[in-house]
Amino acid sequence: MADEDEQQDGYRWESEYERTWEAIREDESGNLQASVQEIVHKTRRQQLLLQKNVRLGMMRHLYVVLDLSASMNSNDLRPSRIQCVLHLLDDFVDRFYDENPISQLAIIATCNKRAEKISDLSGNPLKHKEGLAKIKDRLPTGEPSLQNSINMAAAVLQHMPAHSSREVVIILGSLTTCDPTDINETIEEAKKLGLRCSVIGLAAEVYVCRRLTEITGGSYHIVVDEDHLRELLANHLLPPPALNNIECSMVKMGFPFHKNEQEDTPALCQCHLEAAATESVHITTGGFLCPQCKSKYCELPAECRICGLTLVSAPHLARSYHHLFPLDNFKETHLLKGDTRTCFSCQSSVEGQNMYTCEKCKEEFCLDCDIFIHATLHLCPGCACKPQMN
Amino acid sequence: MGSQIQPEEEDEVSELLAVVLDTSFNSALIKEKNVGQLLDAVVIFSNAHLMNSSKNTLAVVACHPHTAKMIYPVKKDSIQNIRPPDAQMEILAHATQVIRDGIKEVVTSWQGVYSIEPLLTGGMALALCYIAKRMANTVGKLNGRILVLSSSGESAHQYLNFMNVFFAAQRKAIVVDSCVIQNDCGLLQQGADITGGNYLKAPSIAGLLEYLLWVFLPPKSLRAKLVLPKPDVVDYRTACFCHRNLIEVGYVCSVCLSIFCQFAPICSTCQTHFKFIGFKQSMVKKKEQKSLQAPLL
Ligand SMILES: [Zn+2]
Ligand SMILES: [Zn+2]
Ligand SMILES: [Zn+2]
Ligand SMILES: [Zn+2]
Ligand SMILES: [Zn+2]
Repeated sequence: MADEDEQQDGYRWESEYERTWEAIREDESGNLQASVQEIVHKTRRQQLLLQKNVRLGMMRHLYVVLDLSASMNSNDLRPSRIQCVLHLLDDFVDRFYDENPISQLAIIATCNKRAEKISDLSGNPLKHKEGLAKIKDRLPTGEPSLQNSINMAAAVLQHMPAHSSREVVIILGSLTTCDPTDINETIEEAKKLGLRCSVIGLAAEVYVCRRLTEITGGSYHIVVDEDHLRELLANHLLPPPALNNIECSMVKMGFPFHKNEQEDTPALCQCHLEAAATESVHITTGGFLCPQCKSKYCELPAECRICGLTLVSAPHLARSYHHLFPLDNFKETHLLKGDTRTCFSCQSSVEGQNMYTCEKCKEEFCLDCDIFIHATLHLCPGCACKPQMN
Repeated sequence: MGSQIQPEEEDEVSELLAVVLDTSFNSALIKEKNVGQLLDAVVIFSNAHLMNSSKNTLAVVACHPHTAKMIYPVKKDSIQNIRPPDAQMEILAHATQVIRDGIKEVVTSWQGVYSIEPLLTGGMALALCYIAKRMANTVGKLNGRILVLSSSGESAHQYLNFMNVFFAAQRKAIVVDSCVIQNDCGLLQQGADITGGNYLKAPSIAGLLEYLLWVFLPPKSLRAKLVLPKPDVVDYRTACFCHRNLIEVGYVCSVCLSIFCQFAPICSTCQTHFKFIGFKQSMVKKKEQKSLQAPLL
């Protein structure tokens, strides 16, 4: 692999700055790759430990604030800060709804001392992607305004139900912020509303951000490289622990079932109304009907535009259950030279590396499988293969 | 296969098929002495997959009520010298032998009754881990897919396990096909829908092999070009946790996401106490939404 890279891109120091980790990847039996993987793995295990026994805010309303100031033109991230961030955000939007099927996202951009709405709070990833695509051709200019951005987010978030978690994630390239009044008041206001503000800095630490995140209970990190940025964004994919002042409640939801495509009469759906007004008319058979008002949607989850009911399907909720019932960490043991064991799930033999044992079913897994099981599968194959464990 | 579609691209892609076989044959199959026919179909289908391309690979997992186990490929080759009958490829003869031996071993190691559900999710989890590992260690593109063959019908007890498996497969772009024999299984049908696979109910063992070769042998990329049976509408209706009634409007606990058919002051799953606030909130929202939407129509 390393050979290929070099041939394509010429000198490594010219092009592949952000991929320095990939460069040290070794062959199958080499230990270098494993060591890097282990670092990632360790942080993941730590996260799991923290997550255990904490009540989570499953219903999230998250504002992403994107700095569009002149500082985003800098190219310490490739090809430029803004392009790199946009690329990662695109991915973030998709994965956000995967992990948080009943949550909502919105995007704000800030430049020229103002805050600007890119997409409304909604459960529809397409809206955000459209918004992000539009920014792609814009040249970042001027200065950002933290205060205006937070105020804009707060204006909407304060009306969100008390049982949802209200979050703001700010991606900031600039080292300055240009605000109309005292930002400390805004920070106090945000704390009162229960907004959790986190900042991902692309340049260096700034005191006002440190203060903002500490007071509102968010996190503050400075990016090292693209991989680090991706990881920091990924941290915001997982639901945060619920703040103390979050109220619990029963939320009324609709569970529409799919109408048969052959039997149904053609009709307009609510999700394509705007598109239908401008371009081609989108009349379809089939789709999901709101059980309260019978308006039609082609995709779930959605919030009924007519009666406000949240429409989901049972698998959407099931997708979130793994946050609530996370799989326990497996016990780590280092194998000595000459001690060869077989991974329970992928059948590969392991020697001189770490083995991971499920405490419940006592089966052993290799590093790759441990990562896959905890990050993606959320189900111990050993336990699932034993009848008494189910 | 006659039309050559993008020869260079097709060459690089290898297909890994994992057959997850439910070996807890339901009583009807055993009575009709159809089990042998079922096994033949599986073996021939597996061989057909291997024959499609020299890059194709295979895994077979057997799911029984007491265990789920990967039976092909096996770690240690106890059976080394299988002499293929005339003109049969060595790998096919080997696969045939190993699969048959493996199934025999799993089935004979169980003395219990067959009314207990087989550990399908365990088998699927094994298959997923195996495919994920192979995907990570393959240089070119490797398409992984799973075919579940089951005749056990609905299995409600492992609901969460099923969902975890399907979502993991979807994340890794692994297609989960299901072919059920005689008894429908709603969860497998949902899984096929979630992962973009096919779901088919074969009315009897007699035509099983034809179904397998027709619907499930072609890789995902080819299926769009074939005339395959139209999928049924998937029933995603939801049952409440309290009475198992099918509901269209329900109440969801904001802490643990349990679904209830009536408002209750305490969640029976996580014991959270609720304040009675639901209505006011939705009224506010309603007004906002209306004023926003009014000019549209
Ligand atoms: Zn409605
Ligand atoms: Zn493994
Ligand atoms: Zn286990
Ligand atoms: Zn009920
Ligand atoms: Zn609850």
